[in-house]
Amino acid sequence: MENKNSATESILLVDDNPTNLQVLFQTLEGVGCKLLIAKNGNGALAIAGKARPDLILLDIMMPDIDGYEVCRQLKTAPATAGIPVIFLSALGETEDKVKGLKLGAVDYITKPFQPDEVIARVNTHLTIHRLKREVENQKDQLEHELEVVSEVQRKLLPKKLPEINGFKLAAHYETSRYAGGDYYDIIELSENRWGFLIADAEGHSAPAAVLMAMTCALFRAYPDSPDDPAAVLHYLNRHLCKVAEPSFMTALYAVYDAGLQTMRIARAGQPLPMIYRASESKAFELDSPGVYPLGIEPYEIEIPVTEIKLMPGDRFLVYTDGLSERFNAAGESYGETRLLKPLATASASTPQDVIAAIMADVEQFALDHPADDDQALLLGIVE
Amino acid sequence: MEITQQEENGIVSIAIKGRLDADSSPEAEKVVKQALEGPTTRVLFNLGALEYLSSAGLRVLLSAAKEMRRREGKIVLCALNEFVKEIFEVSGFQSLIPITDSVESGIEVLSS
Repeated sequence: MENKNSATESILLVDDNPTNLQVLFQTLEGVGCKLLIAKNGNGALAIAGKARPDLILLDIMMPDIDGYEVCRQLKTAPATAGIPVIFLSALGETEDKVKGLKLGAVDYITKPFQPDEVIARVNTHLTIHRLKREVENQKDQLEHELEVVSEVQRKLLPKKLPEINGFKLAAHYETSRYAGGDYYDIIELSENRWGFLIADAEGHSAPAAVLMAMTCALFRAYPDSPDDPAAVLHYLNRHLCKVAEPSFMTALYAVYDAGLQTMRIARAGQPLPMIYRASESKAFELDSPGVYPLGIEPYEIEIPVTEIKLMPGDRFLVYTDGLSERFNAAGESYGETRLLKPLATASASTPQDVIAAIMADVEQFALDHPADDDQALLLGIVE
Repeated sequence: MEITQQEENGIVSIAIKGRLDADSSPEAEKVVKQALEGPTTRVLFNLGALEYLSSAGLRVLLSAAKEMRRREGKIVLCALNEFVKEIFEVSGFQSLIPITDSVESGIEVLSS
């Protein structure tokens, strides 16, 4: 193996016998690292905590605290837990070796040792440790970048939901891993009408976040007033077809007329909207024909638009499938039928209360099983 | 998920069992891609034992359908259970990829 050790790396040698320590020192002088020494267990712990060496060669039988105990303490302290430990001992029985390895040591060398073997093993473990550190650094870097993406993404969502006369709104948005692919937006049209968009990029994390941001930009650059739900989906699809492959984006666009209290809906692959009808104390999925998701190919058919009249007390819910497809530990999904129940929770009076009831129900179902997809909900209640 | 494939009378049959979701779709994608490496123009997915299909799974089926379209070939999904069929229909995919109730009727569609 090529020796890439550097002088910024250090190895701590621990032995209570000065002669052994000297032989070990001379053996490793050529490996290219700084060598630190400790003559007993307490000294080893003090130096390891301070200097954070890249490798520790540890004798077992020492007068103060033995090597096993030193190793145990090193592995317990977060600052030193990651430092690889090699035991060097005259105890050559299998159970001694197993005991050492079980305590978290990476290797075990029996004394008297062959210098070449010690050098080879030291080099191997230094390389492994270095690669492990590199992977960890890259992971930190990547996570940091995704956090930045996530921050940008949050800024793309509406900062504050609009005040709509006679229609109270609330939203919930969470991503499963930093950045996500869900998106919702509300835009004011003329004559007391409002446009609602909810969309979900297939997949999650960075690739989904790119599609989400594109959809946001496209929607806000819509050339006219987005009054016609079918035209809005045609427009988004036309543009997303150029970039989305092999992925796609489900979307639902609805226009709410606050004067007439009607909702006109076009749906591309998104789950069916849910409605709670107050007069019947009943929640149901709105049967609304749709088209396949955005970004696959142009629609050669007319996109169906479903219109529904809402009444005072009615609740209108759109959501992404990260919610209905939230799993529990047994592998069951939450599902649409379960979702209808908290939507109809009688005691909830504000849309925030209803969303809280839904999220509590979902969490109770999933228990500690984490979400593996992004979840977005948008809910309105007619006053 | 379990995925198997075989070729008979010029039809590549791919059977998917269990859950086709974000976790299993990379493996399914690989197998489907390999199955379509030959010059085949007729592909049948036997989904009779498919329990769950997520959007990542839909993407795998979609890419196979797109590939068949490029080749001017035919593709059919067969024997979907009610739950999977509903996912398929609500998401609008039935207008992109034909489905049939049974493997036999799928073979008929491909042979016509």
